[in-house]
Amino acid sequence: MPDLLALVVQQSVNGVYLGCLYVMVALGLTLIYGVLNQINFAHADFVTVGAFTAFFTATRLATRVLGLPDTAGYLLSLVAALGAGAVLGFLVNAAVFAPLRQRGDELRPLIATIGVSVLLENGQLALFGPIPYQFDSPLARETIRFGRIFFSAQSALVVAVSVASIAALFAFMRFTFLGKALRAVAQDRETADLMGINPNLLIALTIVIASALAGMAGALLGPVVVLTPFTGASLIVKAFAIVIIGGFGNMEGTIIAGLLVGIVEAFTVQYLGSGLIDLVVFALLLAMLVIRPTGLIAERKEENV
Amino acid sequence: MIARGVALGAVILAVAVLPWVINTPYWRGILVLCAMNVLLALSLNLVLGYAGQLNLGQSAFFAIGAYVSTILIKSYGWSFWLAGLAAVGSAGLLGLALAAFAVRLRGHYLAIASLGFAVVTYQVLLNWEKVTQGVRGIYGIVPPVPDTTALFYLVAGIALLVYALLDNLVRSPIGETLRAIREDEVSAASLGVNGAIWKAFAFGLGAAIAGLAGVFYPGFVGTLVPDAFNIVESFTMLAMVIVGGMGTMIGPVIGAIVLTFLPELLRGFGELRLMIYGVALTLVVLFMPGGIVQAWLALTVRR
Repeated sequence: MPDLLALVVQQSVNGVYLGCLYVMVALGLTLIYGVLNQINFAHADFVTVGAFTAFFTATRLATRVLGLPDTAGYLLSLVAALGAGAVLGFLVNAAVFAPLRQRGDELRPLIATIGVSVLLENGQLALFGPIPYQFDSPLARETIRFGRIFFSAQSALVVAVSVASIAALFAFMRFTFLGKALRAVAQDRETADLMGINPNLLIALTIVIASALAGMAGALLGPVVVLTPFTGASLIVKAFAIVIIGGFGNMEGTIIAGLLVGIVEAFTVQYLGSGLIDLVVFALLLAMLVIRPTGLIAERKEENV
Repeated sequence: MIARGVALGAVILAVAVLPWVINTPYWRGILVLCAMNVLLALSLNLVLGYAGQLNLGQSAFFAIGAYVSTILIKSYGWSFWLAGLAAVGSAGLLGLALAAFAVRLRGHYLAIASLGFAVVTYQVLLNWEKVTQGVRGIYGIVPPVPDTTALFYLVAGIALLVYALLDNLVRSPIGETLRAIREDEVSAASLGVNGAIWKAFAFGLGAAIAGLAGVFYPGFVGTLVPDAFNIVESFTMLAMVIVGGMGTMIGPVIGAIVLTFLPELLRGFGELRLMIYGVALTLVVLFMPGGIVQAWLALTVRR
């Protein structure tokens, strides 16, 4: 394989893996926006909580208390992070979104979740300190090689778990009664209510699912980034960019946009340097808003643009 | 009219007396910061509270005011006042650039676009090292006046002027027009209001005022680094406007004062300080949706 082609394939592989992580985070934002028309600014902090939950599950609970082998311990930590995210989602819905929903306001829930975000970040700072944690996943050490293309077992797991979660989510939305009810609420909350669907319950369920995804994304992300109380915060703006590029509230669009941003980022690192990642991603966002403000896949509603 | 005159006199007197009541250098510094925050909150309130545009990128204009003035002074030898004027103009022009997005986008789309705008500005400051020195920062910046007390009088005086200007503006037909756009843009358009022009006006003027606050910031701190203008700064301004009372003139001023002094008073709590700040912000939104001003009105009317 010629050098250039190998390089392009290698960076595309890196990009897809990064993109999968972004999709896991952004998909939750899109889900919440779809049914609730609200933005959760604390969403990415759920990622951090998930990462820390996974860290302590994998390195303390699973291996030292339960005596599990490393890999099983890490897999268990994925589940723990999923649970932590779900609990946070439930709490944020009960404390912020549910009480503020009646007022039909798009600004105040946004501000309230900024408050939650400040609370979570600084709460974790008080608990865990500012010094980065080294989260060793047993899979991050193993390298898989195809010809001249290299990737770690961790990135293979990230892609596998993301694809499985996304497939499960789509199957849930398409084939189960709850999923159909959810889509009904997203389309028209009042009509769904008239058809005997309890929108409050389904909105709570959506936020729980979205937050669980964010928590698990944290467990996948923890071993590949510098883990501090602000790890998630650095992601949030990028996750919003992905949601907008994809078309607010549109799941397919978010997936495409997440992968796109991952790949653009991988090539930016290769050719322009890692300092310019955010600049390139946001230039892409602003360009997108000028050229096609509805996002890659247009939302049905026209009122936002 | 008489009541307003009395109130104005009382405020001027309070501003004049404050540095003598609060006489440690540290707290005088906080006073300057407070006056800057009042300017920033006023600037955001014009766009958010009166024109109803969900703008999360106000920190970009604060940054442009700071960087343009400092670079013109330091690298090109301009005088402070001329550089300040150029910086305010640059911030205003950049505000018009953001308005170009606001004309096409609404609600959450505008919120994220303006956030993206602030991130791009921050990243440019960080990466354009030849001009901005990047993370290394610009050092040894001197304020335009000799001491902190004078700087406080200067910035507070400007804040008072801006307040008076905006107070008259929002009572004028222009204020009516902005409120009409906020309440219902389509209806406003049907009455012959050109939404695009007036949104651009609000963004441009709001950005220029934020830039004006930025002009005084570097001299106050002495150094200039991009991290002073990350998106958290936008959130802080937003919190001031919301906590005080969005869409009123006095609300953001109260919000700026409360949120400047609250973190300082909480310093005794050490690491828990910002946690308390986060909880307080959430609770205000949940239980006082109209901010301090509306809560106060509700209390006094009930009596």
